[in-house]
Amino acid sequence: MEFKEVIGRRRSIRFFEPDKPVEREKIQTMLEAARLASCAVNAHWAKAIVIERDKLPEDKLERMKTPVTALNIELAPVHIYWYADLSVVNRVEGSRLKELVDVGALAPTHGWSHKFVDEFVYPQILKPMTESPGYAVGAAADCGIAMCQALLTAFDEGLGACFSAFNPAVAKELFHVPDEWIPLYVLLVGYPAESWEAGGQRPRPPFEEQYFEGEYGAPFKRDEAVVEKLKQAKMIQRPATPNNPKRIEEIKRLAERLGLPL
Amino acid sequence: MTDLQPLVSYATVQAWLEGLRQHWGGEPERDDPERFEILEAFCRFVDKNPDAIVEECVRVRDGERTVSTKGRRRYADLIAQFQSQAAGSRLRRAKWGNTVRSFLIHNGILLQAGPQAGVEEPRT
Repeated sequence: MEFKEVIGRRRSIRFFEPDKPVEREKIQTMLEAARLASCAVNAHWAKAIVIERDKLPEDKLERMKTPVTALNIELAPVHIYWYADLSVVNRVEGSRLKELVDVGALAPTHGWSHKFVDEFVYPQILKPMTESPGYAVGAAADCGIAMCQALLTAFDEGLGACFSAFNPAVAKELFHVPDEWIPLYVLLVGYPAESWEAGGQRPRPPFEEQYFEGEYGAPFKRDEAVVEKLKQAKMIQRPATPNNPKRIEEIKRLAERLGLPL
Repeated sequence: MTDLQPLVSYATVQAWLEGLRQHWGGEPERDDPERFEILEAFCRFVDKNPDAIVEECVRVRDGERTVSTKGRRRYADLIAQFQSQAAGSRLRRAKWGNTVRSFLIHNGILLQAGPQAGVEEPRT
């Protein structure tokens, strides 16, 4: 699938084929995509614990359920718990930046050297950053980039996926999560039981309310010719609409098949 | 045993029917009249009227109505028991449980019981 179409086809899938296993290779492919994500100071805060639902004892699976995720936890054969490892910056102490210097990603043309990292970047910027109140937010934002690459890769592999909140205390206990890791989301993965279209692209706020040009309040002007081009590339697709009879029928069929309330 | 009035006279049953109508279209009273029989059977099973059932799943804190975790859990268990005692096939029993779940869901009580089809015992 072309990149733009992968973006266009992604939906938060909430009906999974409960008994169709996900190939291990596809999960690895998602993790490989996450690993290659852009990351500030090459720190790579994102960590993940992959759980195969059917390898988790019934009592542990029950404990992982929350009121809003109980069904999807049960339907999705694979659960990927994402964390930000806040200890990484002080553990690697700038060494990953120096790797970037060595491979020419950060070059003297832009002022970079080992000495700059050792004497300035790590002690004067990165280390104090880890003690600032905004540190976890920045680390989580970086993890989001990696998680998004894993998410899009799932759809490129023909899978469905949906991020959900989870109970961090239970997960910490069951999966032996280190203290320094902060919980982000669980990515529930499986083959979709619903059609790939899943009712259409979800409603989004107007483009002009989200993006600005030059200053806040001046909307970035949306060029309809670009929109048309993106429709051709299948990135912008038919939007989901309320009371769509086709979608209603689809959910009714799924509810009957899986034994869910309407 | 609680005396039950005609089910449609209860505000929560009206909210349920309105929710079904808005969400799925059609005419819920006519499309599946059995849903009333099932809800009535559940009311007798727990010896409560529909409004009282919803009320037990709600609590008021600082003047705001929120879902009661305890009440919700209790009713999730009661529905599972009710479902397991119903006669018929697994799918038939699932219908009994899911009809009551639907009643609570359309009254704002979030319930997720997991897939009820294809499992020996209903999962709560």
